[in-house]
Amino acid sequence: MRGWHRKTGRARLPRGEGPWAWLSAGSVSLSLLLLALLLGLLASRGLGHFWPGDVALVTLQDGRQLAGREVREQPLPDGSGHERLYRTGNRDLDGEIWDWVALAAIREVSHPPELLVLERRRWSEFIGRLVALEPEAGPRLEGEAAWSALTDRLAELEAGREAIRELRERTILPLVRRLEREGKSAEATRALAAAEARVAELRASLGGARLVLESVSGERLIQSLDEIVRARRPNAMSGLDKLVAWGERVWRFLSEGPRVGNVEDGVWPAIFGTILMVLLMSVVVTPFGVLAAVYLNEVAHQGRLTRLVRIGVRNLAGVPSIVYGVFGLGVFVYGIGGRLDQWFFEASLPSPTFGTGGLLWASLTLALLTLPVVIVATEEGLARIPHRQREGALALGATRLEMLSRVVLPMAMPAMLTGMILAVARAAGEVAPLMLVGVAKLAPQVPLDGDFPYLHLERKFMHLGYHIFDAAFHGNDVQAALPIAYGTALLLVLVILVLNLTAIFLRHHLRSRHGTLSSY
Amino acid sequence: MRQRLRQGRDRLATALITAGGIGVIAAVMGIAVFLVVEVVPLFWPAEPTGIRLEALWLPQDVAGLDAPAYRWQPSLADDSGPLFSLPPLVWGTLEAAAWSLVIAVPLALGAAAHSALFMSRRLRARLRPTLELMEALPGVVIGFVAGLALAPWLERHLGLALALLLLLPTGLLLAGGLWRQLPARLQRRLPLGWAALWLMPWLVLTWGLAHWLGPRLETLWFGGDLRAWLEVTLGLDYANRNAVIVGMAMGFAVVPSIYALAEDALSGVPRSLAEGAQALGATRWQTLWRVMLPAASPGVLSAVMIGAGRAVGETMIVLMASGNTALMTANPLDGLRSMAASIAIELPEAAPGGTHYRLLLLAALLLFAFTFLVNTLAEVVRTRLHRRYRRLGGPS
Repeated sequence: MRGWHRKTGRARLPRGEGPWAWLSAGSVSLSLLLLALLLGLLASRGLGHFWPGDVALVTLQDGRQLAGREVREQPLPDGSGHERLYRTGNRDLDGEIWDWVALAAIREVSHPPELLVLERRRWSEFIGRLVALEPEAGPRLEGEAAWSALTDRLAELEAGREAIRELRERTILPLVRRLEREGKSAEATRALAAAEARVAELRASLGGARLVLESVSGERLIQSLDEIVRARRPNAMSGLDKLVAWGERVWRFLSEGPRVGNVEDGVWPAIFGTILMVLLMSVVVTPFGVLAAVYLNEVAHQGRLTRLVRIGVRNLAGVPSIVYGVFGLGVFVYGIGGRLDQWFFEASLPSPTFGTGGLLWASLTLALLTLPVVIVATEEGLARIPHRQREGALALGATRLEMLSRVVLPMAMPAMLTGMILAVARAAGEVAPLMLVGVAKLAPQVPLDGDFPYLHLERKFMHLGYHIFDAAFHGNDVQAALPIAYGTALLLVLVILVLNLTAIFLRHHLRSRHGTLSSY
Repeated sequence: MRQRLRQGRDRLATALITAGGIGVIAAVMGIAVFLVVEVVPLFWPAEPTGIRLEALWLPQDVAGLDAPAYRWQPSLADDSGPLFSLPPLVWGTLEAAAWSLVIAVPLALGAAAHSALFMSRRLRARLRPTLELMEALPGVVIGFVAGLALAPWLERHLGLALALLLLLPTGLLLAGGLWRQLPARLQRRLPLGWAALWLMPWLVLTWGLAHWLGPRLETLWFGGDLRAWLEVTLGLDYANRNAVIVGMAMGFAVVPSIYALAEDALSGVPRSLAEGAQALGATRWQTLWRVMLPAASPGVLSAVMIGAGRAVGETMIVLMASGNTALMTANPLDGLRSMAASIAIELPEAAPGGTHYRLLLLAALLLFAFTFLVNTLAEVVRTRLHRRYRRLGGPS
C-alpha cells in the first residue's frame, strides 16, 4: 500500500505489496523451516546415535578421571558457566551411566587410543581399559596381545552363537514339535538328545574365558567373555572403520530384537508387528472399501439419501482415531472376543484368548478407521471415468456386472491402489487406537511362527509408534532411551513418507492418464 | 439360455454389491449406535450406580478442600472414592484445541493467502505435496519431539522464545522494506513469487539475532530469569509440559489441513473477480482482503473448522506433550488433560460396564458428535461455496 502512495515522476504500477505480503510469505517459509527442522532433528539424532564417536578421557581439577562420550552441554542453573553431560556407561560399577561435569572443573580432555568400549548383554556398555585376557587354558595375555586375542575370540564367539541359533531353529524346534504332535518316538528323542548335547558342547566351548578390565577411575572388573557382544576402541578407529561400524549398528537396529528394557539394540519385532498388522488390515479394508464405493457410485440410486450417506462416510475420516479404538475395544474385544472365548476357548477361561487385545482386533479396528479413506479415493477414481465408457459397454450388450468388471474397475485400478496406500500410510502412523486393542510393550512371541496355525491372530504384537511412546515415556532412564526412540521415529517417518510419496505419484499418474482419456 | 445365465449372474452380483455396500456403510455408522447404546445406562441405570449425575458437571465436595471443586480422579487410593467430574477434561480438550488454532490459523491462512496470490506456479505445485507429507507425519512422532525435545528446550530458552516472537514479524517486515530498496536487477533475481524459499535464510538469521537478544532482553526486563518473573510477578506456574507446548505441536500438525482447504477456497474464487479488482487499481493484497476473502470466507471458515475438529480429537500429541494433569486453569503455562488422552490412558484399565467405563465412552461419544457435526457443517458450507462460485464466475 505504501508503494501505491509513493508518487514518482510517471504513473506506474505499484511494486510494493505492503507488509502483509511479507508476513504471509514468512508464514510459508516458517512452516517449511519447521518441517525441515523436525526432519533434520530426527535424522541427526536417530542416525547419530549409531556413530561410534570418540571417547574422551576427562581429568578433573580434583584429580578424578572419567571416560565417556560427550552428549550435550547446557548452562548451569545459576548461570556461572556451562556443564557437560558424559555418557560414561559402567552401570554395574557406578550405578549410573551419566555424569554431569561443570566445564570449569575440567583440567584436561584427551582421547587415548587404548580406551575400550564393550557392548554387553546385561548392564550397559563398559568404558575403560583392558588389562588382561584369561583364556580357559594357556597363559594369561596382557596389553596389545590381549586386545588382538579378544577380537579373534569375539569373532569365534559370534560364529558359535550363530551355529547354536541355527541348530535350535533347524533341528531342535522341529523335533520338539514333532514329539508334541506324534507322541514319543525313540528315534526323535535320540535325535533331540544328540542335538542338545551338541548345543551344550558348543556353549561350553564359547564361555570360560574371562576379561580383566579396569575403569579409568581404577576399579577392577572381571567379565566373562560370553556376555560380550562387541568390543571397540573408537579412538583408534579410522573414519572408514567407523563408517563400517556405523552401518553394522544400523543393520542391527533394523534386524534384531530389543535388549535391556527396550533401550538398546533393535526394533525388529516392532517393524515386523507393524508390517503384519498393516498387511492384515489392507487385506480386510481394500475389498470392503471398493465394494462400498462401487455400491455408492455405480449401483445406488443417486438421490438425496446417497448424497447424505456420502457426506457421512467422508466425515467419518475426520472422526478422532481414539473413538475407533473405543469401538474396537467395546465391540471387537469385549463383545465378539468375549463371546468367542465362551464358545471355543472355555477351557482356558478366565484368562482370555480372544477377549483381550490382539493382532486380529487391532487390524480390524484400523480397517474400520481407514475404510473412509479407501471409499473416498476409489469413489474419486470412479467418478473420473467418463460416462461414455460405461454407456459404450452397455450399448455393446454387456450386463452391468460385465461393464463393471471389464471396463470400470480396471480403469479405476490406480485409484484403488492410491486409496490402499493412503490407508496403509495412515494406519502405520496411528497409535492411539492400538493402545486400546492390542499393542504390547514387549511381545516375546512374534505373531507369525512355525507353530500351527502359523499366524496367531490372538497374540499381542509390537508396533513402531507405540515403541516410541513406550521407550520415551515409560522407561526408567529416559535419557538412555532417547536415541532408540529417535531412531524408531525416523524409521516410522521414513516408512510413511515413502508410502505417501508413492500415493502422490500414483495419483499424479492417474490424473494425467484420465486427463488424456476425457479429452477426446 | 446363455443370455438368461448372464442376466441372472448380473442380478445376483448387483444384489451382492448392494448388500455388501449397505453392510459396510452400516458397520461404519454402527460406531455412533454402539457409543449411544453403551452410554444410555449411565443416565437410566438398571440398578443404582452410586453416583449422582449432577456431579458430572457441577463442583463436588472434595475431601480436604473447603469449597466444592471440579476433580477428575477416577482411581483414588484413599476411601473417599473416585471423583468423576467432566469439566476439567472438557476444559483441557478445548484449551489444547484453542491454543493449537492460535498457532495454526495465522500460519496456515498466511500461507494459503501467499500461495493463492503471489507464489509462482511452479513453487505452488511443489508446495502442496510437501505440506501433504507434513500432514502425514504421525502424531506419535510430533508428540515425542514436542514432549522430549521442544518442552525441555523451551523451559531453558524462554527468553529466546519471547525474542523470537517479537523478532519474527519485525524481521519479515524489515525484509520487505529492504527488498524495496534493492535495485531492480536484484529484485528480479529475488522475486516475491519465490519469497517463501529465499526468506528461509533470512529467518535463520533472525533466529541467530534472537539467540543473541533473548538473554539480554531477559536481563533487561525480567531481572535475568523470565520463568521466575512469571511465577513471582504474574503468579503463573510453569509446568514443563504445558498447554502452549501442546498448542505448538498440534498447531504444527493441523497447519497442512487448514492450508489445503483454505487455499482451495481462495484459488477457487473466479478469476474474473480478482482480475476486475486489479484492473481497477487495487494491489494484490487489497484484492485479497476486499474481494477474494469475502467471496471465499465460508471456505476459509470451513477450513478452520476442520482444523478445530482435528485438534479436538488428536490423542498422541496431547498425551505426550501435555503432562496429563486434569487442571482447570486459564494459565497457558500449566498442564492439561484432554478427553482423548484420558480415554487412551484409562479405558484399558476400566472395568467393562462400570461407571468409569461408561463415562469414558460418554467422552468418546462427545468427541464423535463434536467432530462429526463440525465436519458435516464444514462440508455443507463448502458445497454451498462451490455452487456460489459457479454462479459468480460462470463456467471458468
